[in-house]
Amino acid sequence: MSQTHRLPNGGRVDRTKVLSFTFNGQQYKGYEGDSLAAALLANGVDVIGRSFKYSRPRGIYAAGAEEPNAVLQIGATEATQIPNVRATQQALYQGLVATSTNGWPNVNNDVMGILGKVGGKLMPPGFYYKTFMYPQSFWMTYEKYIRKAAGLGRSPTQNDPDTYDYMNHHCDVLIVGAGPAGLAAALAAGRSGARVIIADEQEEFGGSLLDSRESLDGKSAMEWVAKVIAELKTLPDVILLPRATVNGYHDHNFLTIHERLTDHLGDRAPIGQVRQRIHRVRAKRVVLATGACERPLVYGNNDVPGNMLAGAVSTYVRRYGVAPGKKLVLSTNNDHAYRVALDWLDAGQQVVAVADARSNPRGSLVEEARAKGIRILTGSAVIEARGSKHVTGARVAAIDVKALSVASPGEWLECDLLATSGGYSPVVHLASHLGGKPTWREDILGFVPGEAPQKRVCVGGINGVYPLGDSLADGFEGGVRAACEAGFKAVEGVLPKALNQLQEPTLALFHVPHEKGTARAPKQFVDLQNDVTAAAIELATREGFESVEHVKRYTALGFGTDQGKLGNVNGLAIAARSLNVTIPQMGTTMFRPNYTPVTFGAVAGRHCGHIFEPVRYTALQAWHVKQGAEFEDVGQWKRPWYFPRNGEDMHAAVKRECQAVRDSVGILDASTLGKIDIQGPDAREFLNRIYTNAWTKLDVGKARYGLMCKEDGMVFDDGVTACLADNHFVMTTTTGGAARVLQWLEIYQQTEWPELKVYFTSVTDHYATLTLSGPNSRKLLSEVTDIDLDREAFPFMTWKEGLVGGVPARVFRISFTGELSYEVNIQADYAMGVLEKIVGAGKQYNLTPYGTETMHVLRAEKGFIIVGQDTDGSMTPDDLNMGWCVGRTKPFSWIGWRGMNREDCVREQRKQLVGLKPLNPTQWLPEGAQLVFDAKQAIPMTMVGHVTSSYAHNSLGYSFAMGVVKGGLKRIGERVFSPQADGSVIEAEIVSSVFFDPKGERQNI
Amino acid sequence: MTTANVYQQRPDSGAKAESSLHHANLAGLIAKGRKNPGVTVREKKLLGHLTLRGDAKDPAFAEGVHKALGLELPVALSLVANAETSLQWMGPDEWLLIVPGGQEFAVEQALRAALAGLHISVVNVSGGQQLLELSGPKVREVLMKSTSYDVHPDNFPVGKAVGTVFAKSQLVIRHTAEDTWELLIRRSFSDYWWLWLQDAAAEYGLSVEA
Repeated sequence: MSQTHRLPNGGRVDRTKVLSFTFNGQQYKGYEGDSLAAALLANGVDVIGRSFKYSRPRGIYAAGAEEPNAVLQIGATEATQIPNVRATQQALYQGLVATSTNGWPNVNNDVMGILGKVGGKLMPPGFYYKTFMYPQSFWMTYEKYIRKAAGLGRSPTQNDPDTYDYMNHHCDVLIVGAGPAGLAAALAAGRSGARVIIADEQEEFGGSLLDSRESLDGKSAMEWVAKVIAELKTLPDVILLPRATVNGYHDHNFLTIHERLTDHLGDRAPIGQVRQRIHRVRAKRVVLATGACERPLVYGNNDVPGNMLAGAVSTYVRRYGVAPGKKLVLSTNNDHAYRVALDWLDAGQQVVAVADARSNPRGSLVEEARAKGIRILTGSAVIEARGSKHVTGARVAAIDVKALSVASPGEWLECDLLATSGGYSPVVHLASHLGGKPTWREDILGFVPGEAPQKRVCVGGINGVYPLGDSLADGFEGGVRAACEAGFKAVEGVLPKALNQLQEPTLALFHVPHEKGTARAPKQFVDLQNDVTAAAIELATREGFESVEHVKRYTALGFGTDQGKLGNVNGLAIAARSLNVTIPQMGTTMFRPNYTPVTFGAVAGRHCGHIFEPVRYTALQAWHVKQGAEFEDVGQWKRPWYFPRNGEDMHAAVKRECQAVRDSVGILDASTLGKIDIQGPDAREFLNRIYTNAWTKLDVGKARYGLMCKEDGMVFDDGVTACLADNHFVMTTTTGGAARVLQWLEIYQQTEWPELKVYFTSVTDHYATLTLSGPNSRKLLSEVTDIDLDREAFPFMTWKEGLVGGVPARVFRISFTGELSYEVNIQADYAMGVLEKIVGAGKQYNLTPYGTETMHVLRAEKGFIIVGQDTDGSMTPDDLNMGWCVGRTKPFSWIGWRGMNREDCVREQRKQLVGLKPLNPTQWLPEGAQLVFDAKQAIPMTMVGHVTSSYAHNSLGYSFAMGVVKGGLKRIGERVFSPQADGSVIEAEIVSSVFFDPKGERQNI
Repeated sequence: MTTANVYQQRPDSGAKAESSLHHANLAGLIAKGRKNPGVTVREKKLLGHLTLRGDAKDPAFAEGVHKALGLELPVALSLVANAETSLQWMGPDEWLLIVPGGQEFAVEQALRAALAGLHISVVNVSGGQQLLELSGPKVREVLMKSTSYDVHPDNFPVGKAVGTVFAKSQLVIRHTAEDTWELLIRRSFSDYWWLWLQDAAAEYGLSVEA
């Protein structure tokens, strides 16, 4: 037995393409073109899940984004699980696997079901706030229980195999919605030559025309749709996006669209295809053609499966060829819903009766129904439904709408499908994302977009323009307007003719009365997804919640993925009546993006995995990898951290590398250091002003270390700058500070000293820098260069040009290790060849590659600072004991001079950088550890400084550190203590920060 | 007095030269991609790149540039080209000159001679950046995935060039022919760009050209 509820013909499905799928483990069949919901209904599946709070059985209620019940878990494998998919919006594909998220162990036999009634009483509105928030520490436990019971779906535990990405667009006109108004707008805007995007959330364009009885120019409305699509496709600057939900309307006409490119094709995207895409659109004008959403009437047991939005019945019959029952009762307060009864009749099914709350309806559709012999009970409504897992009957009674009371006992009508229509709510969500409050219109009984905070046009149903002919005209005119406002010329267009129909006003009925009163009547649901009843809203108002936002939060009305699509207006009407105010006085809650849920995959886009963040490499990366280097992240750079050999750990490798540099020669890739080329007649003066020290007397061919301060006198970068020619310098910066320093130079040149003639250009990437360091570096270098390396010819702090490894190089004799050192700069394209030649010549000297860790140790042994490690933005040059680097007599007031002379910067007892030598030479002072003078002081102790750099494994043979201590430079020889978390105390002697070669002889050999 | 230090930075032929995508072995991928690829990538490597700074408003500067290069200074957001030499506006006082690899030293000397006495700067940045040429019917889509700048020909005609945000970093986009674009990429970011482009072009088919 299959597809018991499929009609023999009709619908936009392809009956030659049978697709099988499973729901809760059961195999079913449907057709290509079905939504999952349509296929489930075709197979007679009634119960789709259990309700959130009361665990009542629920069935498919709607046919679109507003579906409150059929929110399912989709996915055939663990890696492809997607929670919160509305069955009404999921196209059927071969092998689709869906499960209920509510109801355990299964929806038809729910263990919670028995508890449902009891559970319901225990869960009045405000339940979470009243019960679960105390004690707060238990919240996590409660949450676990609630989530399991409520079943909100689950995320996959394995990596998603599919690709998601972003695409940026700029267009003149973005049209949201491809129903009649949207398509007409697209024609108008597209024909004008504007760049147009039209996006629609459904599987195909057409909107309400997909299931309309109406004709255009005497032909099926979908023929017109097909013609429009064909024309739009011929326009080169029109982009058509079906399966694309415009989810967010952000500032400056920036909108986000969630497109599902392959969700209709299978559990996984076909190989090489992107599954979902976020379009980021910047539009000159936006046309909102989002239409209107039918709202239900609120009556007793309106949640039993078999209750359905009236329009959804037409959708299933006309679009999918599915009859979700046999005997229909329709309860309505408007004309338009009569089409449902007519569609049902056309499908060969039985219409038991139409209950119309109006006393004397005479509209065209009403008369057509009457003429076809449909029984119409006027002045009446369905006041309650009967049935547990499926509707078996509906009680129709005469009602007094003014008094909101029941006027007759009514009669039970046997039926298995109860369609309900309480009027139409314009879909104002997007129009309200930026805060424009919607306006209530009594003539259409709905909220329409209020003031427009952005450049947008609203057309069709969203404006309360419902008749087809009017909607087309409104859409076309809106499209013309949008295009004209974006700078294009208006075009003429002949629109197809729709039949004129007499349509009478909708009656203001939201909550259908019951003789027992709201509190005692069978449950009358307002928000099916969040299980909010009319009684709960009335209770909320009785408990003093008067603001709509408070009522929402107290009852959960319109929470979560629902966002008030179905229940909002009914809830407002009930609260307003209960508080004796009007609906506009009550106002609406805030609408927020996203309109429907967006997967995390789509949000992440391509910012994941191996392209999550840019990674920067030097020209020598391949060699480092070959040497087995471990890498350290320095900003976005990967730098070799250390080069372990034969299973060494980091300590062993670093100790070996340190020793090799001190004993013979090591090689470091220093290419990441920032390098800035500075040219211009005022380059020297500029350096005088930007550095703390003096540059006037630096001769061509020489290099000098410089400190850079911010205006406050605090050190922010350092490095060596060399004079290449009278008007030409090259500055080096820290690796992390390169971009910051270049910006700093530009800001000062452009804003403060534009009269200084100087240009800055980054050459960081242009040069690769190889540092040879150690007593044998001269011997090694001499084997591969034609430069005279004699200590007199090429002294410390100078540079020379020549060939290294056959490649033109600029070699700087500067040192960050305290050893004899040469920094070889070559155009990066040739660095690998040069490196190979040096390494080849280096074997006899035990040339050892070393990484950043060894570099840090060796420089610390010499007391050289690392800006950002030994400084923290609160240290002046004097604090660092680097007063020698301050040009106190420079004529121009350079950056930082005034700042570092403020009273606080020159006082005694500032924290000063010193060396720290643990008394126990094997003890390591943790970096960041606080220091005290009195280890016995009670907590809170007086903290006098902290450790900035600390190394136990080095070339000295004992553990040492650098740190800042209050007045430390005058306390050399004294003791400090570092209390540790485990209660132990490390005692250290304050010493000079220069541990190795204090006279600096080794770098001068 | 020498105002600037200029030296031949490129070795004589025979020295090993590696572009910033050397490790990706693009040569080994030639003709291995999909047939009728949406995007074709070509590495324009080891060219001479010079950053030129000067005062655009000074007629002597523009004349000097023209004398040395035979090119007019391009206006904002554009580039001019003559055979293998191109000059691109990078900012109100900055241009990028790209010449065939090996000519940069001579060109810099010619520029300096023609602009002698003016406050200018010429910097050889050849090792620090290179061009990646993208061509094919789907290049625009790949660019749209990568940058929020509007790459529609109405806004980005042939001859235009902009520096902008691209994925999670920045680069320069140059529109050189109808379906042909160039990306000016920094050496240290090259691996990231290559990974990014392969990923973004995957659905359209990517091939590599020599």
